[in-house]
Amino acid sequence: MTTHPYTLRIQRNRKGPDGRLTTMWQEFTVQATPTTTILTLLEEIKGEKDGTLTFRQSCRSAICGSCAMKIGGRTRLACKTHIGSVARQGVVEIAPQANQPVLKDLAIDIGPFFARIHQIRPFLEDGPDTDAVLEKSAYDQVNHVTQCILCGSCYSDCVMAEVSPEFIGPAALAKAFRFVSDPREGQKVRRLEALSLPHMMWTCARCAMCVESCPKDVKPMEAIVKLRTRGIAKGLDAGPGPKHALAFHQDIQEAGSLNEFTLMMRTVGLLGTLEELGTAFHLLKKGKVPSPIPHKSQGVAELAKIYEILEEHPLDVETKAKEVVPE
Amino acid sequence: MKLDFAYYPGCAAKQVQKEADRAARAVAQTLGITLRDMPRATCCGAVSLRETKPAFSLAVAARILSEAEEGGRHLVTICNTCLQTLSHANHRFQNEPDLLEKINHVLVQVGVRPYQATIQVFHLLWVITDQIDPQFLKSKVKKSLNGLRVAPFYGCHNLRPAEIFAAKAGEEADHLDRLILLLGGQPVAYDGHDKCCGFHVMLSDKTEMRAMLAKNCLNAKKAGAEVMITPCTLCDMSMGSFQGPAEKSIGQPIQLPEMNFAQLLAVAMGLEGSAGLNRLHVSPQATLTARGLL
Repeated sequence: MTTHPYTLRIQRNRKGPDGRLTTMWQEFTVQATPTTTILTLLEEIKGEKDGTLTFRQSCRSAICGSCAMKIGGRTRLACKTHIGSVARQGVVEIAPQANQPVLKDLAIDIGPFFARIHQIRPFLEDGPDTDAVLEKSAYDQVNHVTQCILCGSCYSDCVMAEVSPEFIGPAALAKAFRFVSDPREGQKVRRLEALSLPHMMWTCARCAMCVESCPKDVKPMEAIVKLRTRGIAKGLDAGPGPKHALAFHQDIQEAGSLNEFTLMMRTVGLLGTLEELGTAFHLLKKGKVPSPIPHKSQGVAELAKIYEILEEHPLDVETKAKEVVPE
Repeated sequence: MKLDFAYYPGCAAKQVQKEADRAARAVAQTLGITLRDMPRATCCGAVSLRETKPAFSLAVAARILSEAEEGGRHLVTICNTCLQTLSHANHRFQNEPDLLEKINHVLVQVGVRPYQATIQVFHLLWVITDQIDPQFLKSKVKKSLNGLRVAPFYGCHNLRPAEIFAAKAGEEADHLDRLILLLGGQPVAYDGHDKCCGFHVMLSDKTEMRAMLAKNCLNAKKAGAEVMITPCTLCDMSMGSFQGPAEKSIGQPIQLPEMNFAQLLAVAMGLEGSAGLNRLHVSPQATLTARGLL
């Protein structure tokens, strides 16, 4: 395959004697085929152009998760990413993972990320919720998320983590779902209680960035949706997140459309609403306060009946992991 | 392709963001796109119904999709979250026949026409940028944007997950940029164009929501944007109407005029009477006047 010149614009980060980080950008031009991996090129630069360039790498097979870094604006594994698929006009920008402390150049301190994984207690625990019988389908949900290699890509690209250092993050929540859905786990309800606290599962903004960033197709956001479903099913609906979600099915069932006028009251309560009166007046200035009597769609009684049928005869519609058959 | 669609504006466009609906209808009419109202359609359930009642949410989506299908039309919307919710359900119905059968079994019990999974879900923006001849669109532009620097804010739910959408999505999406160029504007590249407006945590995590939208707007402004456009009525609510509360929250002015893509398109097509600019919290009046657009 013919080679082309590519420019790697690499973020160089150095800590000074005072411990403060200085950031600058350095460009390296290399000859490569479009299918050359970013990792190969970083090694070439380190070996032949600048031995001080620092980055992490190990397995070269998208298994260890060490080489996750920002490549062309999105966090990707350097060993899995072809230069041709990310370069724009022959240039690609490479930076360390975001939302985590940078140590040097492209290497970050992965400690805070792992602290979040530990926070959800990533091991099976004894307790009252262990299933007595293991069905063949028992791992349908577990197997969705066991592909996670803890590379941190989803956390690095998480828009909520960007503004909230308290947020537990997508990887830890996907891991938590792995335990909540494991038939052997004995503390499912206790886990869901902990996950219902502030900055946990209800803080996700549902932007699906993690679904796109994950190099192993774990779909963390889908796991978060399933966690929320399980939390509500266990009656864990005290916070504004679940209250807001519950308001939706009440409205759709009764009128077909949202009663946005009362939605706020039902989500944050009277005190929360009073706190936000200033915001309400601000919105009112441009007529952006919804009518208290929302539009009613035709045939909406059908929805109440559908709801009743599904309450009487629940349907399992959750996506399932593909069956893993030993080769 | 015949430009005749079942029109699903979404709850926000029916109430708080009605200016987007008005502009969309005016623009569509001038471009020869027929938008037919769906009298039976309900709220799609957004992100919430999938969490509280997963099966009910699929039934709600199937009932909406079936109404469009019965009229022999694809569905078009102007809300990203409606787009994602209905595309997600549709993707599942088209790929999981057993699931479709189970949901249809419930629909027919209450007299709702079963969904055959034959239609597609589009965003009106995609129809305009992918199904209309660019030269024809240009011929309808009465006032070029005249180099106006416009920040495209795509929002999450017409980009991700890319696999469920009927148009180029994810990192490949460029429809807003192409529209800005066609209108004679200059798309501004900035960090945040594909991030989240925070709408879905507006009430539950309000400080975080405000920090998110402030960051996106300030990044766009720093990159030279004079106005911002979005394809989504919910993003409009966040990035536009909540700029004021966000300024208070971060203790810094933002002041970036933000509007729905259909509103800017209406202005460029000489339909400013339908653009509803007076309903915007951060007025684009001065900026647009300076460019000879008003």
